[in-house]
Amino acid sequence: MKQQFYQPLGRLFLVWVLLMFFALRTQAQATITGRVVDDKGQPVPGAAVMLKGTTRGVSTNAEGFFTISAAPGATLVIRSIGYKTEELSAEKTTSVVLKAIATELNEVTVSYGKQRQREISGSIATLSTEKLQDQPVMQFAQQMEGKVAGVSVMESSGQPGRGVDFRIRGAASFYLNNQPLFVIDGLPITGSINNINPDEIETFTVLKDASATALYGSRAANGVILITTRHAKAGDAKVEFNSNYGVQHLPSNKVPKPMNASQFATFMNERYQDMKTYEGFTGAIPAEYQNPSQYGAGTNWFKLLTRNAPIQNYDITLQSATDHSSSTAIFGYQEQQGVLINTGTKLFSGRINKDLTTTNGKIKAGFSIAPSYRLDHNNRLSTDGVGGLFERLFEASPLISPYNPDGSYVRNVYSSGMVAYINPLAIFNLTNDDYKTTRILANGYFNYEFLKGLQLKINTGVDKGAESRNYYQSGQVTSTVNNPTGTSSSVDNGSYTAEAYLDYKKSFGNHNLEVLGGYSAQKYSSTSNTLTGLGFPNDDIPYLSAATSVTGSSGYTAYSLVSAIGRVNYNYKGRYLLQAALRNDGSSLFGALSRYGDFPSVSAGWIVSDEDFMRSIGKISFLKLRASYGVTGNNSFSGNYSAQSTTSNYYYDFNNVVTQGTTIGNLGNANLQWERNKQLDIGVDLSILKDRISLTYDYYHKNTDHLIMTRPMPTSSGFGSILDNVGAISLWGHEVTINTVNTTGKLRWTSSLNLSFDRNKITALVSPGYIRRNNTVTSDYFRQQVGHPLGVFYGFVFQGLYKDAGDLAKSAKYLATATNPNGVSDIGTIKVKDINGDGVIDDVNDRTFIGDPTPTFTGGFTNYLSYKNFDCSISTAFDVGGQILNAAKWAYQTNMDGSRVPVAAALNHWRSLADPGNGAYPRTKTGTTAIGREVNTQWLESATYLSIKNITLGYSLNMKGNSMFRKLRAYASVQQLLVLTKYSGMNPEISLSGQDPTQGIKVDEEGYPIPRTISIGLSATFK
Amino acid sequence: MKNLYIILALLSLCASSCKKSFTDLSPQSSYSDANYYKTTQQFGSAVTAAYAPLRDVVVNDYLMSEQRADNAIYQSILSNRGTAYTDREALCEFMDASTNSYNASEWQYCYQVISRANIVISRLPSATTVNADSAKYYDGQCKFLRALMYFKLVRLYGGVPLFLKEVKTPEQAFLPRSTVDQVYTQIVADANDAIKELPAPAGFPQTGAATKGAATVLLADVDVYLKKYADAVTLLNTLPAMGYTLNANYSDAFQPTNKNSKESLFEVQFLGGTGTGSTPNPLVYYFLPRSSSTALVTGLAINNQSTGGWNTPTKDLIDAYEAGDKRLDASIGIVEGTYNASDYFTYSAVKSVVGYTTPPSGKVAVAYVKKYQHATPAVSGSSDDFPIYRYSEALLLLAEALNEQGQSPLAPLNAVRERAGLADLTATDRATLRAEILHERRIELAFEDKRWHDLVRSGNAVAVMNAFGATLKTQISYLPTGSYVVTDNRLLYPLPQAEVGLNTQLTQNPGY
Repeated sequence: MKQQFYQPLGRLFLVWVLLMFFALRTQAQATITGRVVDDKGQPVPGAAVMLKGTTRGVSTNAEGFFTISAAPGATLVIRSIGYKTEELSAEKTTSVVLKAIATELNEVTVSYGKQRQREISGSIATLSTEKLQDQPVMQFAQQMEGKVAGVSVMESSGQPGRGVDFRIRGAASFYLNNQPLFVIDGLPITGSINNINPDEIETFTVLKDASATALYGSRAANGVILITTRHAKAGDAKVEFNSNYGVQHLPSNKVPKPMNASQFATFMNERYQDMKTYEGFTGAIPAEYQNPSQYGAGTNWFKLLTRNAPIQNYDITLQSATDHSSSTAIFGYQEQQGVLINTGTKLFSGRINKDLTTTNGKIKAGFSIAPSYRLDHNNRLSTDGVGGLFERLFEASPLISPYNPDGSYVRNVYSSGMVAYINPLAIFNLTNDDYKTTRILANGYFNYEFLKGLQLKINTGVDKGAESRNYYQSGQVTSTVNNPTGTSSSVDNGSYTAEAYLDYKKSFGNHNLEVLGGYSAQKYSSTSNTLTGLGFPNDDIPYLSAATSVTGSSGYTAYSLVSAIGRVNYNYKGRYLLQAALRNDGSSLFGALSRYGDFPSVSAGWIVSDEDFMRSIGKISFLKLRASYGVTGNNSFSGNYSAQSTTSNYYYDFNNVVTQGTTIGNLGNANLQWERNKQLDIGVDLSILKDRISLTYDYYHKNTDHLIMTRPMPTSSGFGSILDNVGAISLWGHEVTINTVNTTGKLRWTSSLNLSFDRNKITALVSPGYIRRNNTVTSDYFRQQVGHPLGVFYGFVFQGLYKDAGDLAKSAKYLATATNPNGVSDIGTIKVKDINGDGVIDDVNDRTFIGDPTPTFTGGFTNYLSYKNFDCSISTAFDVGGQILNAAKWAYQTNMDGSRVPVAAALNHWRSLADPGNGAYPRTKTGTTAIGREVNTQWLESATYLSIKNITLGYSLNMKGNSMFRKLRAYASVQQLLVLTKYSGMNPEISLSGQDPTQGIKVDEEGYPIPRTISIGLSATFK
Repeated sequence: MKNLYIILALLSLCASSCKKSFTDLSPQSSYSDANYYKTTQQFGSAVTAAYAPLRDVVVNDYLMSEQRADNAIYQSILSNRGTAYTDREALCEFMDASTNSYNASEWQYCYQVISRANIVISRLPSATTVNADSAKYYDGQCKFLRALMYFKLVRLYGGVPLFLKEVKTPEQAFLPRSTVDQVYTQIVADANDAIKELPAPAGFPQTGAATKGAATVLLADVDVYLKKYADAVTLLNTLPAMGYTLNANYSDAFQPTNKNSKESLFEVQFLGGTGTGSTPNPLVYYFLPRSSSTALVTGLAINNQSTGGWNTPTKDLIDAYEAGDKRLDASIGIVEGTYNASDYFTYSAVKSVVGYTTPPSGKVAVAYVKKYQHATPAVSGSSDDFPIYRYSEALLLLAEALNEQGQSPLAPLNAVRERAGLADLTATDRATLRAEILHERRIELAFEDKRWHDLVRSGNAVAVMNAFGATLKTQISYLPTGSYVVTDNRLLYPLPQAEVGLNTQLTQNPGY
């Protein structure tokens, strides 16, 4: 990883001065033409090229070119802010290595352009992918985990190629989409990020505060991630080949352990015995439980449903560039089989980037085109959460074989007393769900500098997608038996973006000004259709051609956004920085009266270390103070016509005549307004000890109002919900990034630590002041309420089990009534706190706020070491503090009535006063166990974890004198090596629905497990 | 500089020309409310949509209005204590809490009909292109539906929020409860409008849409509730002229081949199949014991392990049939088989309930609702309609209204009995006849979601249900100790907790 914002001193930039001698005048003055570029091949404009000892000199133009007359042998002095001044003899040819005085001149991609790092007054972090490429992953999101302060990346599911979520600064919104806006080479994308090959990416720029994001106004409330793909640098021509092969497997220590056959038979035997003892049961204990010792482990459903699975990744990159033209082509193939049987994904991708500059340097133009094709096999089945894989494991009896004697699947794999669940092995093998996704990202740009310093810039882009789905489920496993179901559907979607703006740069002495203004328009549309087939005679032909009944529908949806943007950057001596920006957005998503929103921002920066009084403090090499304030907006909600009521069809068949009815199905909200996010950011950038230690600190405070959310309505209105502006939330926090160069020389060791302290509080909500997660008590995990942080857990307070008759008599009991004073409680059942003190436990009055998922701080720590030809990197990510609600364990894996197979630990449950178990697991008495599946404090665990995300060890072969290779490197990498946590579930990073805080943070309903991947790779660069 | 001006001009031209229409998008694969509700045909479709949730109401209402009473119980499934089971059982056992999801569904579905009716009623007056006759017809149907649903709600919950206009903003969705009287006043007004606006059936079989007859019997039913017996008699006496009469056989009214017959005043329409727009009736599987195959009863091998086991006829009801009553065999059947330890049933034989005594050794006998069991076209459900008002109920309402006014109810009462193959009653004592009429209603209208309301209306609910529960607990082992404790508070259901939680103006019914 290369955190470019504050480079350690050791990493110095190279400036090549290319001198081309055109006309040589012997003995006399010669005209020397040259070019000043930085190590990225980017021109350095405005650099002073002086003849040493004179006052004569010229400046480089916007393209870094200069022409100067000089006698051969004269010395040229080249100066530019941020670079170390360099001298060279005009006689000498071509390139000279110039050392920069600091890294701050590095230009980074910002919204609508590039900016020198040192002159940025907003909160921006950049991340180079150079050292991330060894990770055996399919998604770039996985590379970013734990790397950037304030950017929380969580792997909530291990579904191949999916399941990673972003939150920047704790998100800012209530509504579904808390993902940041992704902008690839200036094109805001509208489709999924899953189809993007990580190897195509060169850098990420994360825009965090309102000033940095302001030009993306309406879509910037959750932050923006700018992705820059690889563009060849001038003078380069090479072929690179990367390959990587790994094996994924599930670490067994955290896998939930259901009872095996003999344990379950014992448990059920005891349950029936207890029924005889306590419940007057007179029947016989079912035969299969009478002799538990006859069974061994029985069927191990976990083993049957999981596997070790390969992951592989191959890329080839072709690059060439001259001063005026640059071409890059990247082709990749990635394949990831799932650790869950019969799942997997494949991605074919390509990208061609082409840039050119005309000879006079006035026109720059280019295009890129990136097609990809993805095959998802059973990858989007419900493998996560309720109904997902790990719930299925507990639904299948270890006493039952998955197969009939003839080798066919058994449909129902339950033992006596269990619910008749369907064979999970058969479900996963007899369901076929294939998605084929084609995606083309393309963009082109045209910049024309028609007056000095004034450029017209035109960008256009297309994000085009097409997806087809073919689904078939055998009648053996359909929920209604013998009802084979097939679906064929397709989506054709796409968006285009067109932008035109003027950019004017001018320096007046020490005053530097840049003004930008223009327009942008974007439109997205999608056409889809779905056909569902029923009545297949058998499983032979899994296509709708075999269905006897086919129904279907098709639809179209679209949205558009039109914007005017303006920005002024001013600095004095490159030391006092000011920026003001404004974006006006009009979105089709809102009603006519509230369609437009203004999103202004201002920021200021002061490079204190440039002041004379600081020069005496030699230990401080760089110090910048920054502040910004601005407004951004959010219109990312799923319905494109939420401001309008739309109709749906409802059939009512009058006397057997099929009759279509049509009326309002979704209630629109014509008054829906833009969600506004007002953000203050104060930051410091500091480098000390000759840049050996650099530090960035930011404090932010966001107030979001007009929060958009689906608001529950009384169903007596005829509607369940409406999209509305429901309230306000404050989010604030501190972010610290520290980069150090620990050792230099032969052993080179650098470290990067980032920490984020994020807090939030809901400050206003519509009546009644809270929004509950669910109306049923069992999965009503949390409640959004004024005065509380997002996603606080809500439930009963667990007080152990009723110990004895005395305890039962004096304690409140669940659902007690006058005629039934013990309710459904008894000695040995779960006791909870009587919150309202009325002597009765009920679902409405005795639940309260029981826990908070908000971590104290989160972060990542990364180390790089190199020694001779060896290099090594270790990346970690961690959360400290906060709680996690282990819903999967208690709601789905602790069914004490034996309707499913419980966890093995539940064997140690209450059976009698003399044998009360370990106090965690109650008795099995019929009708008393339900409360154990309702949220209570027993479910809470610490969410603290430290995850070793990746360790890579590489070795570069010495290629000096090799005629074929420029570079050859072999490496081994372990992804998701280890998760250190006290959490008893599988994945402490899990969330109920990604990182959507309205759907629950840190609620574990058990997702697709995240495998450990061990891989080896080879990368070669050909000469 | 000239270039600059040209470019600026182009930029501003582009921006100003596309800005307005570019962001003015409306849905294309559906209507928006701005461009719908214009034509006669569109209003007709909006009325059709208002009928649709009636199916959801009757698919849920057996829990609220039938299984709650002494006609039916549920089959035990102790192996699965999910709320999908315990919530339904609780409604049967009088142990339901305000968080009960089936109670919430009933409320929601009733109001969905009301909401869609309100849209039509609110928008018709400004619809200039709808001709007057159609407008009248649509308004009448929607007022009938609204009255029918408020009548259901007021009996289940007491005074409920009275939504009479289309809800267009979130603010309009929050209303306090109206009083019981206010709700009844509105029901009467709506039913009167419907009687005025709706035509009598044009012929039989009818279309299945609401008619003057349907509105008439609804208002008569309401009048009997409100003890306005004279009004009820007047209304009910208008029905024969509209062509209504009893079918020859009791079971004819439930045949999918004889829908919307001359006996039908109003029934909820179902149509089996899997095609677009088909609306199968799943109740046939709900009302059978849970099994991996119901083939012996349904012909088609249906797995109703997760849906079945509800609305099982009680011994109390079976015993209530008089000897020779043809309605017993038409309404109830017996299936023999065995339960496994997970409470799933294996069918071994189907028997007639008439004269049935005990199952063979090793088998258990489970009664099931036979009334709606006919040929099943698909696994998703049948084409059986669900009756709301039949002419026999109109006769029984007439008998009741006459009796309560001191006139002889015997003519309409015996008409119902005669068809059932029973001897005429001759009693003259009003109290005796009152009991006879109530009994006759229980038998004639069994499993038509009338029994709970009849018990409450007659004032017998607390006594009958406590006695019934006490007996039941001696016969059935799986009932919880706290079940069937029936107090006056239990005569109304709780308002759904989600509604009370959301709308702070609502007050909960006492006892919840």
